[in-house]
Amino acid sequence: MTLTELYCLMPIVITGCAALFVLLCGPLLLSSSLTAIGVTASAAAGIWAAFTAPAPIQCIPGLAFTPLAQLLIPLFSFAAALTLLLSHGYNERRILKGEEYPATVLFALFAMCVLPCATNMLILFLALESVSFAFYILVSMDLNRAESGEAGLKYLLMGAVAAAFTAFGFALIFTGSGTLALSAALTRPENRAIISAGWGVLILGMAFKLSLVPAHLWTPDVYQGAPSPVAAFLSTSSKVAAAALLLILLGHFPPMAELRVPLAALSVLSMVLGNLAALRQTNIKRMLAYSSVAHMGYLALALLTGSRDGYAAVLLYGAIYTAMNLAAFGAISSLSFEEEREQITDFTGIGFTAPVRGGVLALAMISLAGIPPTAGFIGKFFIFYSALKGGIVPLAVVGILSAAASAYFYLRVVAQLYMHRTESPAPKPVGFAEGLALCAASAAILIIGVYPGPLLEMVETALR
Amino acid sequence: MTSLIPILSLLIFLPLAGALLVFALRRSASAARWLALVFGVAEFVLACVPLAIDRQGGAQVGVPTGFFLYQDHGWIDRFGIRFTLGMDGISLVMVILTAFITIVAVIASWKVKERQGLYLSLLLALQGAVQGLFLSLDLFLFYLFWEAMLIPMLFLIGVWGTGRPVYSTIKFFLYTFVGSLLMLLAIIALYLMHGAQTGSYTFALPALMHTAVPYQLGLWLFGAFLLSFAIKFPLFPLHTWQPDAYCDAPVAGTLMLASLLSKTAAYGLIRIAYPLFPEASRALTPLVYVVAVIGICYFAWVAFAQRDMKRMLAYSSVSHMGFVALGIAAWSPVAVSGALMQMVNHAITTGALFVMVGMLDERAESRDLSDFGGVWGKVPVLAFFFLVFNMASAGVPGLNNFVSELIVLVGVFKVAPAAALGAFLGSVLTLIYTVRLVQEVLFGKESKPTVLAEVSLREGSVLVLLAVVVVYLGVHPGPVLDLFKAPLELLLNK
Repeated sequence: MTLTELYCLMPIVITGCAALFVLLCGPLLLSSSLTAIGVTASAAAGIWAAFTAPAPIQCIPGLAFTPLAQLLIPLFSFAAALTLLLSHGYNERRILKGEEYPATVLFALFAMCVLPCATNMLILFLALESVSFAFYILVSMDLNRAESGEAGLKYLLMGAVAAAFTAFGFALIFTGSGTLALSAALTRPENRAIISAGWGVLILGMAFKLSLVPAHLWTPDVYQGAPSPVAAFLSTSSKVAAAALLLILLGHFPPMAELRVPLAALSVLSMVLGNLAALRQTNIKRMLAYSSVAHMGYLALALLTGSRDGYAAVLLYGAIYTAMNLAAFGAISSLSFEEEREQITDFTGIGFTAPVRGGVLALAMISLAGIPPTAGFIGKFFIFYSALKGGIVPLAVVGILSAAASAYFYLRVVAQLYMHRTESPAPKPVGFAEGLALCAASAAILIIGVYPGPLLEMVETALR
Repeated sequence: MTSLIPILSLLIFLPLAGALLVFALRRSASAARWLALVFGVAEFVLACVPLAIDRQGGAQVGVPTGFFLYQDHGWIDRFGIRFTLGMDGISLVMVILTAFITIVAVIASWKVKERQGLYLSLLLALQGAVQGLFLSLDLFLFYLFWEAMLIPMLFLIGVWGTGRPVYSTIKFFLYTFVGSLLMLLAIIALYLMHGAQTGSYTFALPALMHTAVPYQLGLWLFGAFLLSFAIKFPLFPLHTWQPDAYCDAPVAGTLMLASLLSKTAAYGLIRIAYPLFPEASRALTPLVYVVAVIGICYFAWVAFAQRDMKRMLAYSSVSHMGFVALGIAAWSPVAVSGALMQMVNHAITTGALFVMVGMLDERAESRDLSDFGGVWGKVPVLAFFFLVFNMASAGVPGLNNFVSELIVLVGVFKVAPAAALGAFLGSVLTLIYTVRLVQEVLFGKESKPTVLAEVSLREGSVLVLLAVVVVYLGVHPGPVLDLFKAPLELLLNK
């Protein structure tokens, strides 16, 4: 192993070691120092990755520090660090003790760091499943709430089926291309049918991971049951990881005409049904879950273009969506004390009694609705830009109309926060760690909203 | 001309900075009030500065003709999105109008009881967005401000509104948002088309004007723009959000909605939609005539049936906006300058009337016509101003609305006599409900006696300010019309 290679592998090493260290030394340390270690390790991995030039790695087969990793590892690290900051207070209030929690978050991050580095289908699959595996545990972590365990079980059962589909898809693509290494993949015309079949099965598995209709049914239950910070992490990073997997594969097995119809169907159904179902929710976590279905529909729309612009829009939207949902779930989690505050009516007047958290939640809603000058608008703009450029006009119109309908349920939360006369009792003041996380997420929403240039450039570099 | 001081950016960022400062000082209501007023006045002074500079200016390289102030900065370079601001006569008048109305709104909000700091801060933020919209020469930037206006407005109605504020605010928001999103698609489509034709991908409005748009597609794109602008205008039959929003909004909110936000739509039609799609707009002109005339007559008729004064004014306001639509549809120099003049006059008159209804509401805690009567005898000063503004609104010669409505009618009569005739009938209807309003409120017999207080110094100052403008524009509209002349020539002869 050369020094450069070690240098490139450092984000993976840092997160892996931190996960093990937290797990092994956890019993000896205070919970606050565990959080601190976790946040530091995530931040270190993210910063390290951001400033490392892409390079191949010879010593470990199937790994390379790709341009994509340079973008995604910092993004995942940001999400993990924020999740840890958010869960510190949340877990204390919910009496979720122990080192397992931060260790599992770090383990998930470790797997997420590996995923964009993969140059081999097996590593890709292992990384993706490791991410899911960590989430099975995280979702069911809250032993005090029956829903949490139930959600974990649901997620595990559905996830296992999806994993089987994904594995089968990889197996078929392997059969068709004759190699596991992505770069060496041969797509001989006579094998095209097998590869297409592989894609078909793989898309099913990925539809589950991305919660695209009709494979979305687990989403509301799992988001509702999971501890809120976990839901934040799950709804953002795991989705971006799945989208990244698709991008990596599409880069090596160019988009096939056969993929268009199923992907278009998944996209339209998700945009329309996701938004329609969200309209009817009274529970904010379920509402966000359905809205996440719709947002993944937008992502699928951009993927469908099969163009670089579309892929750039996917990455950009992934990053923006991460900031938005972290802010939304973060605000919800920091407002949950003895009682989980999850009915939309529980938030009456919170905008005035807890201005910071109410403001962050309102900002997240406005951004999710795609109203400028927030990041959500920029994200939506590039999605629809790529769709129009890719010539899928009818889908873009459907998407934009469903986006318009979505404004209603996001605004309902804003209205609940600020526009009702009766006020719920003031929540306790926000803790430092949670406040920091919320500020970071909101800052990201506003900065990207006003000045998206740098992020765009990073996305462009990542696709090179 | 690019001046040393970036006046155009300052016009946008000064109110935004004011909003932040006022927000920071929101704990002290009086500090917030005075600070908001200071920022309002400062903005007005700044807006008037271009009046003093040489507006002819030699054309400079890279500056679109007709714009005497121009600023251009890179923003999202990858997509050719730039922070481009420009000012010609039209935007100059709109910017001054915005600054003026905001001062009126701040003073009219002097007695807001709850969370006044936040209220004023939102008002200033809204002003910043409106100014940005009037100055944008980049279509992306225009859209950004167009949508960003919604956020402060949403809170102004929702938090401080009366009646059914949440219902009204969400209705208002959804209507405008749906229209805007389709406009966004149209903007992107135009951008892509221009890029494909010329190889330069840009959102710059002057460049996009030279895009060759196929007729059929042009109809769709123009339709999307028209829909979006017609909703905010509001044109019949897309107006149903408007009476609710106008009625339930607090005074300053109604003022901003009626006086400024509806003008942003008219401005969009004049600056963007018509010049961008000349063919399509000509094809759809009969449609605009029809909805404009229906609007003028129908809303005047509906206004007549109202008992709630604010609701009556809301309908009266859209009825008058019909003249703006009519003038734009005729697309001739006379008609459009009349439409622009009507935009200014409507903003002043309607604004003044809403402020006065706010005053009456504050005093009698009612807006029902039957709760008033004999106001003339009780509070003569207030009644006098009420009469003046109503006369202006009805189009009495010598006051401002007369001038602009006449110009519009003259302009339209040349190209579409039937439409002009319809509009004329509508203005007769206006006279009927105005006379009834004035008669019942000022001279009628009241059902239950109410004690009304005379206007205070603060209120009086606003009313005098508005009345002076009403009379000035009524007798001497020349200078304002002159400002429109050159830019209109450029727009119409594109």
